[in-house]
Amino acid sequence: MAEELAAQTQTTGAFGNPPPSGHPLIRRVMVATTVIFLTLFIVIPVVNVFAQALSKGVDAYVRVLHVAGPPVGARLSPAERRKLAAERGQAEKTWSSIRLTAGIAVIVVPLNIVFGLAAAWSVTKFRFKGRAFLIALIDLPFSVSPVIAGLIFVLLLGRSGVLGAWASSFTWPDPFSLHWRGFAQDWWPLAFTRSFTGIIFTPLAIVLASIFVTFPFVARSLIPLMEAQGSDEEVAALSLGASGWRTFRKVTLPNVKWALLYGVILCTARVFGEFGAVSVVSGHIDSNDTMPLRIEKLWNEYNNQAAFGVASLLAFLAIVTLIVQTIVERQTGKSEMRQVEEEGTQ
Amino acid sequence: MSIEVCSVNKTFNQFKALDKVSLKVETGELVALLGPSGSGKTTLLRVIAGIEAADPGSGPILFDGRDVSAQEAGKRRIGFVFQHYALFKHMSVFENVAFGLRAKPWRLRSKEAEIRAKVGELLQLVQLQNFAQRYPSQISGGQRQRVALARALAVEPRVLLLDEPFGALDATVRRELRRWLRKLHRRIHVTTVLVTHDQEEALDVSDRVAVMNEGRIEQFDSPEAIYDSPANPFVFKFLGSYNLFHARKTNAGDAVAASPADAGGVTFVRPHDIEIRRENSDGFGIAARINHIGFAGSLVNVELARIDNDTVVDAALPAHAYKDLGLKPDDRVFIRLRNTRSFDEDFSI
Amino acid sequence: MSENAAAFRSTTHPSRLVPGLPLTLGYTLFYLSVLVLIPLAGMLFKTAQLGWSDFWQTVTDPIVVASYRLTFTASAIAAAVNGVFGLIVAWVLVREPFLGRRLFDALIDFPFALPTAVAGLTFSSLYLADGWIGGLGRHVAGSINGVARLAGFGEVLSADALSWLSFPYSNTNTGIVLVLIFVGLPFVVRTVQPVLRDWDTEYEHAALSLGASRATILRRVIFPAILPAWLSGLALAFARAIGEYGSVIFIAGNIPGKSQIAPLQIVTKLDDFRTAEATAIGIVLLFFSLLMLLAINGLEWWMRRRERAT
Repeated sequence: MAEELAAQTQTTGAFGNPPPSGHPLIRRVMVATTVIFLTLFIVIPVVNVFAQALSKGVDAYVRVLHVAGPPVGARLSPAERRKLAAERGQAEKTWSSIRLTAGIAVIVVPLNIVFGLAAAWSVTKFRFKGRAFLIALIDLPFSVSPVIAGLIFVLLLGRSGVLGAWASSFTWPDPFSLHWRGFAQDWWPLAFTRSFTGIIFTPLAIVLASIFVTFPFVARSLIPLMEAQGSDEEVAALSLGASGWRTFRKVTLPNVKWALLYGVILCTARVFGEFGAVSVVSGHIDSNDTMPLRIEKLWNEYNNQAAFGVASLLAFLAIVTLIVQTIVERQTGKSEMRQVEEEGTQ
Repeated sequence: MSIEVCSVNKTFNQFKALDKVSLKVETGELVALLGPSGSGKTTLLRVIAGIEAADPGSGPILFDGRDVSAQEAGKRRIGFVFQHYALFKHMSVFENVAFGLRAKPWRLRSKEAEIRAKVGELLQLVQLQNFAQRYPSQISGGQRQRVALARALAVEPRVLLLDEPFGALDATVRRELRRWLRKLHRRIHVTTVLVTHDQEEALDVSDRVAVMNEGRIEQFDSPEAIYDSPANPFVFKFLGSYNLFHARKTNAGDAVAASPADAGGVTFVRPHDIEIRRENSDGFGIAARINHIGFAGSLVNVELARIDNDTVVDAALPAHAYKDLGLKPDDRVFIRLRNTRSFDEDFSI
Repeated sequence: MSENAAAFRSTTHPSRLVPGLPLTLGYTLFYLSVLVLIPLAGMLFKTAQLGWSDFWQTVTDPIVVASYRLTFTASAIAAAVNGVFGLIVAWVLVREPFLGRRLFDALIDFPFALPTAVAGLTFSSLYLADGWIGGLGRHVAGSINGVARLAGFGEVLSADALSWLSFPYSNTNTGIVLVLIFVGLPFVVRTVQPVLRDWDTEYEHAALSLGASRATILRRVIFPAILPAWLSGLALAFARAIGEYGSVIFIAGNIPGKSQIAPLQIVTKLDDFRTAEATAIGIVLLFFSLLMLLAINGLEWWMRRRERAT
C-alpha cells in the first residue's frame, strides 16, 4: 500500500504535469474569459450591493435601520414631523424584519439539524426497502420551485385548503404573555410574542415554508460523508460496550462535525435568503416581512438606497458563509489527507 | 532505429531527476531501465518520448542520428505504453486501438476498411481478436496491457517505450506477459526501451540493462555482465540479496579476513555463494552458529551468526546439500565465501 | 470529497449492532410526511378536484402559455450560456494557474450563498439603462452608431440591436436571462470541476503520443470523459432556472403575456384568490421539475456507473 501510494504520488506529483492545453494565446484568452465572465456576473453585482447601499453616505446607511427621534427641544414643522415619523416607521419595519428573520432561523435551523442527523443516521447505517426513494425524497425541495413550495402550504392550510377548516381556527398561543414580557418585547427576536389565529399569512407559515426549502441542506452534507465512512468505528465502539447515544456523541459526531457545520451554514444562509416560498405564504403583510421581502417592498417604494441597505446585510452574510465554507472545506480536506496518510503507512 | 541520449538533465522543483544522463540504444535492441523508485528511469523514458521536456542546456536526443528534442511527442513516431494503461474508458478495445489511426490528419488517414483490417491484425497479434467490442472495464489487467501495446503499435512506431508495463499485474500474469513480450519483440524487432523496478524482469527480458540510481546510470551492460560483475556496490545490492563484510579480500583465495580489524574496504557475497562446511580443513573458514533455518522450496535459507563478532550472515544452499550436511539450529559450522566482490569503502549505504 | 474518502475507507455492510433505526427512521418519516408528503398529497387532491376542462383551459390560456414559453426559453438560454462559460471557467480554474485563481474559485459559490432577492436587486440596478453595465452597453451601442454615421454608413445597429444592448428593463427579457445565468452559474462549474481535477493527464499524453492533435484530444478524449458531469450540471442549472422566482421578478418587466415567468403567474393568481388556476399552473411546473429531477438522477447514475467501471 505504502509503496503503491508512493508510486502514485510520483506519477501524479512530480511527473503529473499536464500537457499544455493548446497555444499560449488560446490559453490566455481562456483565462481572460474566465476573469471577465466572473467579474461581470459575480464581482460587480456584489460590489454594487455595497456601493448602492453606501451611495448616500454612511449616515443614510445607518438610517435604514435606525432613525433617532427629534432632538430635545427642537421645533419641527408639521411637515418635518410627518417626514421624520414616516422615516422612523420605515426603519422600525426594517428592523422588525431582521428580528423576524433571525427568529425564524433560530427555530428552523435546530429542527433541520435534528432532522439531518436522524435522516443521515437512518439512511447510512441501515439498509431497508425504499431507502433510495427516501434519499430522493430528501432531495426533492432542491428541484421544486420555491413558489410551489409556498403554494403547497397555501393549498393545504389556506382558507380553502384541504385542512383549511382546522388551520384557520388554529390558535397559536402567546408564549410570553405571562412571563418576562419586557424581555420578550425588546430582546426576544421572534415574532411569536403575540397570539395568531390561522397558519397561512402568519410567521408560522413562514417557518413551515422555510423548513421545507432548507431541510435537505444538513442531511445532504452529512449523507455522502457518513456513507463513505461506513459503520466500522461505530461497531467498534458498540462492541466495547458503549451505548448507542454515547457512540453517536463520541464517535460519529466528531467524525462529521465539519460536514455538519457546512450544512448548518448553508441552511442558515438559505433561511435568511429565501424569497419565493416565504413570499407566497406571507400574504404581503408588513409584520410578516422577512429581510428579502422587506427588500422587495422598499424597492417597490422606490427607496433604492434602503433596499440596498438591507440587501448589503444579506450580502455580508453571504460573504461570511463563503469564508466559513472555504475554511470548512480546507479542514475536511486536511482531515482526509491525514486519513490517507495514516492508512498509507499501515 | 537507434536512440541516443546525450547528457540530459531534468529537474522537478529542485529535485534532480536526471543528472547528465547519456545512453545509446542500438536498432532493434530491447533495453531495460532498471532502478528503485525515484531513480529517474521513468523520467528518462518520458524525456525520450517527448512527454517531458529536458532542462535547457541538455544535450540532444537523437533518433537515428537526427535530433528530435524539439519535436512534440506526437511527431516522434513512438509507441508509449503507460504503467496504468491509460486506455480510453469510453471507447471499446477496437476504438482504442484505432485511435491513433483515426487521429491522423484527414489527408493522411487510411480508409475505414484499411483501419479495420489493421486493427484486426493487431488484435490478432496481441491475441485479443475476440474482445474487440469489449470496453476496458470489461477485460482483465493483462488484457488491458496488451490492448495498450496494440494501440501503441498501431501507429507503426519506430521506437516502443514501455513504462513499468507489468507493474500493476500479479506475479504469474507478469511472467507470462514477459515471455510473450520477448516473443513479440523477436517478431517485430522494433527498438524497445522498458522501464522496470523488478530485477528479475529486467535481466530476463532484455538485451541490455541500464541500472539507474539518483538520476544517473550506474551501469549499462548485458544482463550477465550486470549480474556477474557489477560496477559498484549499488548495482550489486540492487540485483539481489547479499552479505556485506567490512573487510577487503585478504588473499588470492576465496576467503575474507575473519576479523573486523582488517577494515579498509567492503566485500559483498550473495547468499548462494556462501558455502557451509562441518570442518575447517584448510583454515580459511569462518566459524559461525546457525540461528534459524527457513525453507524456500528448492533452496534452504540458513541464517548464521559469526562466532567472533556476532554479525549475521545469510546463506542459501540447495536442498540436497542441506540434507547431506544435516544442519540443525545452534550447530557450529564453518562458512567459506565464493565469488566475492570487493569495493573500496568510499560509498555510503 | 466523498469519493476520495470512499476510496480509502472500507465500507463494510452496515452491522446489526448499530442501534437507533426505529427512532431515526421514524422521526425522518414523520418529518418528511408532515412537510412533504401531506402537502404534496394535498396539492394532488386539489388538482383532482379541478376537473379536466378547467385544468386544460387554465394551462392553455395564451398568457399562461406565454409565461411557460418565457420560463423555458430564458432558462434554456441561460443554461446554454452557463454550459459554455462554465466549461471554460472549470477548465481554467483547474488547469491554468493565474493570479487570484483561488479567490475566483471561492467566488463561484456566491450565487448559492447570495439570496435571490439580493441578486435580482443588484442585477436590475446594474443592467438598467442607467446602471453601470446597462449604461455601458448603451454607450457602446451609441458610439458604434455615431462612428458609423460619421463615416457615412448611416446607423449600423438596428433599433432591435440597440434595445438589446441597452438592456431596457421592461421591453426585453435580456435581464431575465442575465439573472438566470447568475443563478445557475455554479452548477456546471461545480459538477465539471471535480471530474477535471481527478482527470489523469496520462490520457492526454497517451493520445498525444499516438499523434492526435489538441483539438482531437479535446473532442475525442477529454470531452467524452466530462460529458455526463457536464450534462448533469446543465440539467441542474436548467432546473434551477425554471423554478427561479425571487431574482427574476426584480429585473423582469412582469407584463402579462410578455415578460411574466410561470412562477410569477402562480403568485399573481394566488394574490387574486384564484387558487384553482394557480394549482393548475403549479402542477404543470411541478411535473417538469420532477422530469428534470429524473433526468438528473439518471445522469448521476450514469456517472457513478462509469466511475465504478474503472
